[in-house]
Amino acid sequence: MSDVMAPKTPQWWKKSDVKKTAILWVICTAVIGFGGVELHVRNMVRPASETMSGVINLMRIFTWAAAPVAGLVGAMCLTVLTSGRHYGDNPPPDADHEIRNSPRTTAVWVSLSAVLCLFALVVGLVVFQRDSQAILDKSALQVNVTGQQWVWNFDYANGARSQDLYLPVDKPVVFHVTSVDVMHSFWIVQMGIKVNANPGYITETAVTPNKIGVFDIRCAELCGILHSYMQTKVHVLSQADYDAWFAAQGRVEAKS
Amino acid sequence: MSVQTHAHHEHPDVVGSRNRLGVILLLVADIAFALSMIFVYFYLRGQNVNNMWLPAATEKRPAILPLSSTPSWTVTAIAAFGLLAHFYALKGVRAANQTQLKLGSLVALLASLIAIVYQFNTIANAPFTFSDGAYVSCFYLFTILNFVHLALTVFISLGNWNRSRLGLYVADHWHVDIVRIWWVWMVVSSALGAFALSYP
Amino acid sequence: MTTLINRPAKTPSKSIIERLNLFTALALGAVSALVVWRLALQFLPQDVEGVRILTREDKITLLSMLAWFIGFMSGIGALVGPFRWVMGKDLTHEENMFLAGKDMGTKRYFRYTTDHKVVGIQYLIITMLIFFIGGSMAMLIRTNLGHAGGGWLHPQAYNSIVGTHGILMIVGTIIMITGPFGNFIMPIMIGARDMAFPRLNALSFWLIVAAAVPLIWGQFIGGISTGWVAYNPLASQAPLGMDGYIMFICIFALSTMVAGANITTTVVRMRAKGMTWNRTPIFIYGVVASVALALPAFPVFFLSQIMSAFDRALGTTFYNTRGGGSGWLYENLFWIMGHPEVYVILIPAVAALMEMAPVFTRRPLFSFNVAVMGIAGIAGLSALVWAHHMYMAGWAPLLNAPFMITTELISIPTGMLFLVLVGTLWRGRLWVTMPLLSIFALLWNFMIGGVTGIYLSDVPADAFLHGSMYVTAHFHYTLMGAGLTGALASLVYWFPKMTGRMFDKKLSWISFWLVQVGFNTAFIGMFLVGLAGQPRRVEAYAPTFSVANLVTTIGAYIIMAGMLVLLYGVIFSWRDGVKAPMNPWQAKTLEWTVPFPIPLENFDELPTVTSDPYGYGKAKP
Ligand code: HEA
Ligand code: HEA
Ligand code: CUA
Ligand SMILES: [Cu+2]
Repeated sequence: MSDVMAPKTPQWWKKSDVKKTAILWVICTAVIGFGGVELHVRNMVRPASETMSGVINLMRIFTWAAAPVAGLVGAMCLTVLTSGRHYGDNPPPDADHEIRNSPRTTAVWVSLSAVLCLFALVVGLVVFQRDSQAILDKSALQVNVTGQQWVWNFDYANGARSQDLYLPVDKPVVFHVTSVDVMHSFWIVQMGIKVNANPGYITETAVTPNKIGVFDIRCAELCGILHSYMQTKVHVLSQADYDAWFAAQGRVEAKS
Repeated sequence: MSVQTHAHHEHPDVVGSRNRLGVILLLVADIAFALSMIFVYFYLRGQNVNNMWLPAATEKRPAILPLSSTPSWTVTAIAAFGLLAHFYALKGVRAANQTQLKLGSLVALLASLIAIVYQFNTIANAPFTFSDGAYVSCFYLFTILNFVHLALTVFISLGNWNRSRLGLYVADHWHVDIVRIWWVWMVVSSALGAFALSYP
Repeated sequence: MTTLINRPAKTPSKSIIERLNLFTALALGAVSALVVWRLALQFLPQDVEGVRILTREDKITLLSMLAWFIGFMSGIGALVGPFRWVMGKDLTHEENMFLAGKDMGTKRYFRYTTDHKVVGIQYLIITMLIFFIGGSMAMLIRTNLGHAGGGWLHPQAYNSIVGTHGILMIVGTIIMITGPFGNFIMPIMIGARDMAFPRLNALSFWLIVAAAVPLIWGQFIGGISTGWVAYNPLASQAPLGMDGYIMFICIFALSTMVAGANITTTVVRMRAKGMTWNRTPIFIYGVVASVALALPAFPVFFLSQIMSAFDRALGTTFYNTRGGGSGWLYENLFWIMGHPEVYVILIPAVAALMEMAPVFTRRPLFSFNVAVMGIAGIAGLSALVWAHHMYMAGWAPLLNAPFMITTELISIPTGMLFLVLVGTLWRGRLWVTMPLLSIFALLWNFMIGGVTGIYLSDVPADAFLHGSMYVTAHFHYTLMGAGLTGALASLVYWFPKMTGRMFDKKLSWISFWLVQVGFNTAFIGMFLVGLAGQPRRVEAYAPTFSVANLVTTIGAYIIMAGMLVLLYGVIFSWRDGVKAPMNPWQAKTLEWTVPFPIPLENFDELPTVTSDPYGYGKAKP
């Protein structure tokens, strides 16, 4: 903070509380950045797509970016709290200054948050742009998703329909999502994609699964009594397994 | 408009300007309401979900055709006439002409009554049921809410006329000024609705 | 003039105003509702081929609720003024004094009393009641979520409790500062004798009472099974309880409009002589920004519910896609109100703490101008960000990027509020009291809530987080961690002025620590399950989430303990607390210059203001 400089007071950066804050700032930033990232990343699901890895990365970057600002606030609070407190029923004497503002501090603070904000925007928009491109991929597998109270139905190119989703690994998929009754939200948890299923409309989202395994699909929009149970699985198979499954489905369809 | 403070030793001008601000602020709310109604109309019209803005004919019933917007413009015109009458009354009271005040307020009251009856007729005679598509829904929303607006207008102009009649506006007339603000907004909002309904 | 001697020969018959009170209102409301219900049952035609099954029942329910509303408002006396105006018999000075509750004792709390101090206390009581009910529902939620698998509540009941908890808490937080403190304290703080429109003031309060009944009523006819947002088309499918929600919102919206116009006019027109805009306390700015923001926002909500009612009762198709309607329309209308509304809640809470900061650090407010700019910036931007709640709706993928930009820009003015608070703490002489601790608590909680808001505002991240418990944790950190914390501090800070007694210090400390520790335990846990992928509004979840959920439940019980201590503190201190001096905190705003009990018209002589109220600290030579 910039004071009016009285002759004997040291320059502002040499004042003891400023020094203390500076040290605490470094510590707080490190603790918040490290702790925040750990808290987020450790608890997030293991990614099953590039998109989800991107999300986890974003959380890491954002947390580290926000850490210095949060750290500064924390450091200043700690400094204040540790330099003299008054308890009691009557007020302490007034503080020994009457600083009412400091254009320099304000400017620094506002530019700092503006830079931070800009950074978050740029990083976010770049990732967003990449994700949105995927929807336009014409060569991708196309799956129609229909939500209804309280199940998911998946329709494939060959006319097959299933209630568990089957996908080949490493192949882009585009989902065309709709609903027959109320709003649902189609969420493949480990792939970090989600889009609402609206009656009367078709919405789109896209992903490329990059791991073989079984993952969760959950409905993420309150849709009535059994919303909690509107869950299903996605089976990501190797291309060969997928082809076999797909052919089998085609036959089932043809027979019936 | 009927609001006053119990701080009794204040100049009428002070009270008047305070009341004007209060009414304008309440109108801000009403304006937000009206604008979102316009948004509803054009959003649904633009979306035309399932082609049901104006449903096409089916075996069971013929196609839904939009009503002409003329009745809506007519209501607006009647309301505008009421506004003019109120202006006339206001000019009267400003010129200390009580007769003109009474005449103007009476005509304004009559105009609001005619408008509300007319509006009621439009609603009652509309050839739709409520579930005939999005346009029809909006049609009912606009006309019914305009009806409510008009009911308020009748109430206010009744009060205004009665108070003029009783000679309450001899000393100061800020009530009449404020009623004008309401009238202006009444006409504008009615025109907004008519404007929207002109683009079925 | 003693009435003993001058008693008139014949007591004139009591005027209608003197007869009306809460009991006539309840009676008239109940009778009207019953009569209309019976008539509607008798005369409403059966549905022909219903678009919805419940149409006729909805008509009956809505009409009865409307009858309740009109009956109650007539019975309390809200219509007397307007009708007297039409009849040309304006209220006399005596009648106005009667309405203001002159010499009436506690009875005035049960009638259409216009004195702003009475209205303030009424608001305080109803806010606490709302929080009490909402808090109890939260405990039901948490108990149900204590272990994995299906809880003990029926899913429908669970959904309904969540929805009711949400809307009650939101309404509670909207009024928690502008209601009690905005009414009781604010006029004195600006040196006015009352609000600009005392009768509108009473109206805004009694509208809330009238609104509460349909909501409670709704609980018994199916509840609000849609969450607090009441998305359509789910809402048009919901049981009759939804009509209670619709009525509740419509009446509450009226209340906010009336209160907004009243408070804004009071501040703009009735500040004491010499109280220029840069001498007006920052709390006043917060209150005005809040109500002025609500003024254009709530009508949109109002309209959305009217259309909901039309859809349910008349069979229109605003939200029914089969008839050309659109769920996206509802979402847009809801969030055009819904986002400004969160700042309606936040701004006065932060402003109240800004008002207290100089008092408890004994130094001037740091950068009044930045505070005002921050508040103005938030208010301005808040109208442009609503679609960040709809990134995943798919309604306009091309608009996601612009809305992401506006949303993240809001962090800049919000950061300014942080600067003001931290700047004021810096080099202050801390007087450690519950309000001071609350400033630190707000900084901590709102930093977490705000920064997680930035994560959510990022579209790719939101694709993972939307609809998960992470969102729930985010908004509890902002609503409760920031908003409610500010309100609780205000309660303790202004308690002496409102009740004449100090809030018991020990109890305020115990409750503060219990609430804050419990809160952080509970909602950090909730962030974790959100990240692990637990959706919102589920009454059963996978076993992987059980540990963190248990932690959250334990945290919630600690909050409950803290809140019970607080409640005890309120009752105890109000009855038996230490009598408060006129200015216990040695603060410099005007409300501390009036004695207790505060005279009916606050000031014998209206004060003149010559400086801002932040003149603490030693002047440099
Ligand atoms: C008081 C209430 C309140 C407040 C203040 C906020 C503040 C913010 N909220 Fe929150 N929000 C809610 C209440 C609130 N919110 C509610 C109730 C919901 C859910 C509704 C529902 O679905 O039921 C919600 C949901 C919600 C969503 C939708 C999530 C989803 O459903 O998918 C998003 C997305 O963008 C969001 C973002 C933000 C942002 C960016 C802020 C910003 O205002 C935060 C700004 C503050 C800071 C950033 C910290 C301080 C700043 C600095 C120290 C400066 C420097 C920092 C940076 C530049 C990063 N909120
Ligand atoms: C201000 C708003 C607010 C507050 C304070 C709270 C408080 C709490 N909330 Fe709530 N909550 C919401 C707003 C709020 N909530 C909203 C909007 C939703 C979304 C609903 C939806 O999804 O539709 C939600 C949803 C929600 C859920 C998610 C349900 C689900 O998605 O399945 C959960 C789960 O644990 C929860 C828990 C709690 C708990 C344990 C508390 C506890 O902290 C409660 C403790 C008790 C109190 C805080 C009251 C005590 C106060 C007083 C006695 C008076 C003080 C007086 C004055 C200030 C004058 N809440
Ligand atoms: Cu489908 Cu929730
Ligand atoms: Cu928002």
